[in-house]
Amino acid sequence: MKHLTDSAVVSTIAPVRVAILGAGRGGTALLDLLHQIPSIEIVGITDRDLQAPGIQRARDLRIPVTDQAEELVRTHGLNLIMDVTGDPAMERFIQSHKRPAADVLSGSAARVLWELVRHEAKLQAELFHAEKLASIGSFAAGIAHDINNPLQLIMGLAENLAEETDLKTVHEQARDIVEAVRRTSAISRDLTQYARKTSARDDAMVALNGRLDEALKIARYATSFHDITVRRDYQPDVAARGNQDELVHVFVNLITNAVHAMERGGGTLTLATRMSRDGVTVSISDTGCGISPDISGQIFEPFFTTKDPGKGTGLGLYNVKTIVTKMHGKIDVESLVDRGTTFTITFPPATETPS
Amino acid sequence: MGEFTSGFFMPDQATNGRVLVVDDEADIRKVVRMTLQKAGYDVLEAENGEKAIETINAGENRLLLDVVICDIRMPKINGVEAIAYFRSNYPRVPVIVLTGFPDTDMATSMLRQGVVDYLVKPVEGEKLREAVARAMEQRELAHL
Ligand SMILES: Nc1ncnc2c1ncn2[C@@H]1O[C@H](COP(=O)(O)OP(=O)(O)OP(=O)(O)O)[C@@H](O)[C@H]1O
Ligand SMILES: [Mg+2]
Repeated sequence: MKHLTDSAVVSTIAPVRVAILGAGRGGTALLDLLHQIPSIEIVGITDRDLQAPGIQRARDLRIPVTDQAEELVRTHGLNLIMDVTGDPAMERFIQSHKRPAADVLSGSAARVLWELVRHEAKLQAELFHAEKLASIGSFAAGIAHDINNPLQLIMGLAENLAEETDLKTVHEQARDIVEAVRRTSAISRDLTQYARKTSARDDAMVALNGRLDEALKIARYATSFHDITVRRDYQPDVAARGNQDELVHVFVNLITNAVHAMERGGGTLTLATRMSRDGVTVSISDTGCGISPDISGQIFEPFFTTKDPGKGTGLGLYNVKTIVTKMHGKIDVESLVDRGTTFTITFPPATETPS
Repeated sequence: MGEFTSGFFMPDQATNGRVLVVDDEADIRKVVRMTLQKAGYDVLEAENGEKAIETINAGENRLLLDVVICDIRMPKINGVEAIAYFRSNYPRVPVIVLTGFPDTDMATSMLRQGVVDYLVKPVEGEKLREAVARAMEQRELAHL
């Protein structure tokens, strides 16, 4: 009962209306965090420099951008003015133009807030990396298999070459050895690239089909694909704005989950991409065990797992959701027990064409 | 092998025995075949557990198969299931595991099921031939 009243109260409270002054790194960090919080409404952002990074981000997020600081500060019904310019003149300007009802956060208070946001982002990144490393532990069996098989081939061929007298066979087997060495070294290349810390590289338009294929290759180390048919249903040239290392990790997580769900009896894994005026979607479907309705509300929570202790961290989907949200996308799940599951990620329509 | 049986069942050209290699990778089957043929064994191949079971049940193999070499990680009836089948239906045929994954828990549980050897790839040809020779001996001892 108490629960009901509480949520009823929360939903009737009007959102806090916030204006952001300053679109440098501080303003961008605030935007990224605040726009995810439903009880906060960002009424606008401004900066002397309309090329500032936060201005572009605000446009992507469809948050009003203005060059009229005075108008923004005087916005009707404004609750809070966040001044992250660090400019004492701006503080005076706000104090002389704002409406009395609006609170102001500026100077060192704004700075502390920004530090908190940055700290939170750093923790998030560390959690993300920890989960990635933990998942690499589960790669051991796949890696051992993929390295030791070519090594066995190399061993057998080399032993034979020590005695082989037929020149044609010698040439052929020497070539097979070179090929097997190539295969083996490709494995360490793929994995070291995946395991390194996510590059701080700025967001860019990322071609999604290629990243899905890359994730598929990585996921094959993480889990056995036996008796699993993979269908790739790609629309050409589908792209979204984001960090490509993070996107690969999102796809690896969803693919491994899908394959785990089909551990018993196999099935079909379908990777699909679509692009339309409403945005870009990536869906990853399996014909596995499904998610029962009584846990479907919890799967995105950190540490929620139905896997045996030591088998899953329960951070996979939590990180997936964090990254997707950061990219201003959303993720939906449709599932039927014993029939299968589809995770669909939707990204907002691209504001620019991929370069 | 007793005189009578060998005279009766042996195929035309005499071999040191018949070995079934079960591995999903053709390359592995190829080198194991090469390695064992050098020691005069007759080698059969299967690419998964299902094919392996079909092969062991086919015609004269039922009687003539001497040793099975089996991988663990395979599609369609994996190694563990296939080995369980061999152990319960053909207890006289020794099984050697040849796997890419050094896993002590798996090794222990396989040895408990009566697998005679657990080899981790890459294994030297000589070691593999020794393991097969040992398995053949065990098999003959069991017949005494
Ligand atoms: N495709 C799916 N089909 C069925 N259940 C799923 C699927 N994806 C996720 N789940 C359920 O959601 C839970 C949480 O998934 P999540 O990826 O967060 O963690 P995990 O897979 O258990 O652990 P880890 O990702 O560290 O291996 C899983 O334990 C499983 O119960
Ligand atoms: Mg997972």
